[in-house]
Amino acid sequence: MDKSIQNNRAWLGVLPVLLVVAFSAVVPLMTVVNYSVQDILDVNTRFFVGFDWYRETLADPRLQSALIRQLGFSAIVLLIEIPLGIVIALALPRDGPLTASLLLLFAVPLLIPWNVVGTIWQIFARGDIGLLGVALGEIGIVFNYAADPAHAWITLVAMDIWHWTSLVVLLAFAGLSSIAPAYYQAAALDGASRLQVFRYIELPKLRGVLTIAVLLRLMDSLMIYTEPFVLTGGGPGNSTTFLSQYLATKAVGQFDLGPAAAFSVIYFLVVLLLCWIFYTSVVRKKAADDV
Amino acid sequence: MAEIVLENVSYTYPGESAPTLAGLNLTIEHGRAHALLGASGAGKTTMLNLLSGLLHPSSGRILFDGVDVSLLDARARDVALVFQFPVLYESLSVIENLVFPLMNRGWQRTDAVSRAVEISTELGIEGIHDAKPAVLSLFQKQLVAIGKSLMRDDVDLVLLDEPLTAVEPSIKWRLRQTLTRLQQSHGLTMVYVTHDQTEALTFAEEVSVMARGTILQTGKPVDIFQSPNCRFVGHFIGSPGMQFVDCDVADRTARLTGHNSDEVAVALDLPNGHYQLGARVEWVRVRREPGSWQVQGSTILGTEVGEARVLLTLTMGDQKLQAQATGKWSVGDNVNVIFDRFILFDDEKAVVNG
Amino acid sequence: MFKGRTAATLLLAVYTIYLLAPLYWLFTMAISRNQDIVGKFELFPASPTVANFVEIFTKEVWYSGFINSLTYVTLNTVISITVALPAAYVFSRYRFLGDRQLFFWLLTNRMAPPAVFLLPFFQLYSAVGIFDTPLAVALAHCLFTVPLSVWILEGFMSGVPREIDEMAQLDGHSFLSFFFRIFIPINRGAIGVTVFFCFMFSWVELLLARTLTASDAKPIVVVMTRTVSASGMDWGVLSAAGLLTVVPGLVVVWFVRKHLVQGFTLGRVN
Repeated sequence: MDKSIQNNRAWLGVLPVLLVVAFSAVVPLMTVVNYSVQDILDVNTRFFVGFDWYRETLADPRLQSALIRQLGFSAIVLLIEIPLGIVIALALPRDGPLTASLLLLFAVPLLIPWNVVGTIWQIFARGDIGLLGVALGEIGIVFNYAADPAHAWITLVAMDIWHWTSLVVLLAFAGLSSIAPAYYQAAALDGASRLQVFRYIELPKLRGVLTIAVLLRLMDSLMIYTEPFVLTGGGPGNSTTFLSQYLATKAVGQFDLGPAAAFSVIYFLVVLLLCWIFYTSVVRKKAADDV
Repeated sequence: MAEIVLENVSYTYPGESAPTLAGLNLTIEHGRAHALLGASGAGKTTMLNLLSGLLHPSSGRILFDGVDVSLLDARARDVALVFQFPVLYESLSVIENLVFPLMNRGWQRTDAVSRAVEISTELGIEGIHDAKPAVLSLFQKQLVAIGKSLMRDDVDLVLLDEPLTAVEPSIKWRLRQTLTRLQQSHGLTMVYVTHDQTEALTFAEEVSVMARGTILQTGKPVDIFQSPNCRFVGHFIGSPGMQFVDCDVADRTARLTGHNSDEVAVALDLPNGHYQLGARVEWVRVRREPGSWQVQGSTILGTEVGEARVLLTLTMGDQKLQAQATGKWSVGDNVNVIFDRFILFDDEKAVVNG
Repeated sequence: MFKGRTAATLLLAVYTIYLLAPLYWLFTMAISRNQDIVGKFELFPASPTVANFVEIFTKEVWYSGFINSLTYVTLNTVISITVALPAAYVFSRYRFLGDRQLFFWLLTNRMAPPAVFLLPFFQLYSAVGIFDTPLAVALAHCLFTVPLSVWILEGFMSGVPREIDEMAQLDGHSFLSFFFRIFIPINRGAIGVTVFFCFMFSWVELLLARTLTASDAKPIVVVMTRTVSASGMDWGVLSAAGLLTVVPGLVVVWFVRKHLVQGFTLGRVN
């Protein structure tokens, strides 16, 4: 796309955006960084402490275990949702009324408030009043996500899959739809097998949307708060306490502004780092492929 | 390469009430370069898909060398297809693209590669074997696509769907030349679909003009040009197309409709009635003598031996004609018109060549 | 187009059931009285009732929750699209100093965990006096919806040919006339998709919505999480509320259904 008009007056167009984002992001972020390097005893008493809070936070064993749980959770859901989403998108007929209605249905879980998602599964998986819980009970499994950490994890993962796989499906389907039928026709004439069609036609086209899909799922799973909070409250014990919840407890509950702020900054950097690693590795790989 | 026969082929798209193609009959001899010419919507693409096996005829038969292939899929028929835009595997290099169809049919890699080298040398693309399509020009990519279609040596038919559309006008002719060369040297039966008559008339040995789901006329380019069998073909072919004036036939004599009723032809074997006289601009001669026609306008085309060449617009009552002439003419000049050649059309069909 | 249409159909059927089962269960819970729910397990309620819905439509705490939520979601969508449209136009049509950096920086805001902003938002909005108003939540959500909106709109706008701008100029339109009468209508589909995504974020979010409101602007999502009466959880009413929160989503999907697939390419069909 030829964007050859150089015009610095264009800044006027982005001014509204900048103002809004400054109010929503920059100012608060500056505040957080500010707090993270100070010890605030009360409104008038504050000391500059440098990186003390950072050191303390990074050494906190509860943070470390929350981080490990978080990374484990993100890895599991990504490893399931991305391939599953692609496979479902491949299974959908290219067009037709069935596909249209299915896509609408698939979009629904994406638009349900996250606490309702939690509530739905909270009820659904209960051993006494939930369809799933009772069904499992019928085949001999006493399912109790409130008491058993393994059950809690299974329920959380099942819930996240239910909630977010559709995003991958919709993105992958959109990518597949952009492939002109001529490519499939040519492949048929070439005698290509289904696997070859996937590998040489579909996968390269999907690369763009998949990058978006993985990036979004990675970011959002790292930030997950509401659904596990509603479903398990972080328990039993700490077994399903992930990073966001840990931070929220510290920041709002305990009034430890300094450490909470330091944790916030670290958290943000972790998310950025992981996204950056993923993004550059994909971009670099693509560049290498094109040579 | 095979002889291709379409026997009374019709096709109706599922859900449509009217057939897209109705009762087509066509024979393409083996080793022929054949063009399907028509505007969009004429049914050319449907024809192409029926030939390639992507669609099966609703009725009628398609025969390759006498074998009924109507129900065979694209994979089972031995056809090659070149699309409007280069359809290549973007993640594979040129050489990998070329050997792909052969590897899938069990060829040994060394044989496949040597054939790929052979074909690419013929096309002039031997230098880009290891390149990926993304770095090639559109022209090069289309050459690779054409090369891919020629890799298999057992192909009955090569189909091309407007292959020059995406290519820049300045190099269209190169691609066209390449195709002609290949067709002749390999003796390929080629069916070339296009809406561009220049392409069709210069490339093909035989042209079928299509409109509204039927083939109006099949013939050599010169025949189609000189002797269209219906008004549509006359008008469609040529730039400018054929022009028409009203005329009447009475007592076996044809006269132009108009208050002076110029006689055009005698001893015609036609019933009395109203007809259309078709004449190309080149067939109309203007004479500086009193006649039924008046000069209404004149456009300079160029100069010839010192004199101006002009395109004259002539009128006679409601009728209008264009003709080429030399010299100077003024609006209002009274002139006489002679038809060196004309065709009489009754409704849509041609009835007489004069 | 799959190895065996039957395998594909089976997979789609299983996935569809997987999605529908919890929703079905929510529905049956919503039309059951709480005492029936905890009393006896039934696949479909023997005596379905609309009592739960009546409760929601009559009790102020419930319906005001819905109104508050719809208010801030609408506000957020309006603000996001209003500021994103000129920015996206500019990004798609012009180059200027720092444009790539700005664009990228906007996107990184999407990567910020909301939890990080809890405290500063709380203090900032209290200081400015908009704490506990729908505006506060709308603005806070802008942190994510504005970058997303710019990204989506820019993707689509880049696909609109420059010739349209030039033709409008030749026809004598002023810039504003061109922008509002020609350019925006052309991008209807893109705006629809952006509305979908803004809604998708703002309607569903809990953490910020909870932190920035107290009693006046309490959103429905918060009302639901605080529903425990003296006799324990009223699953019936809770489920009815949950079901009602699914409805706006259905409405939005219905309206943008034609653009849904295209929208998910985010304008970037290569």
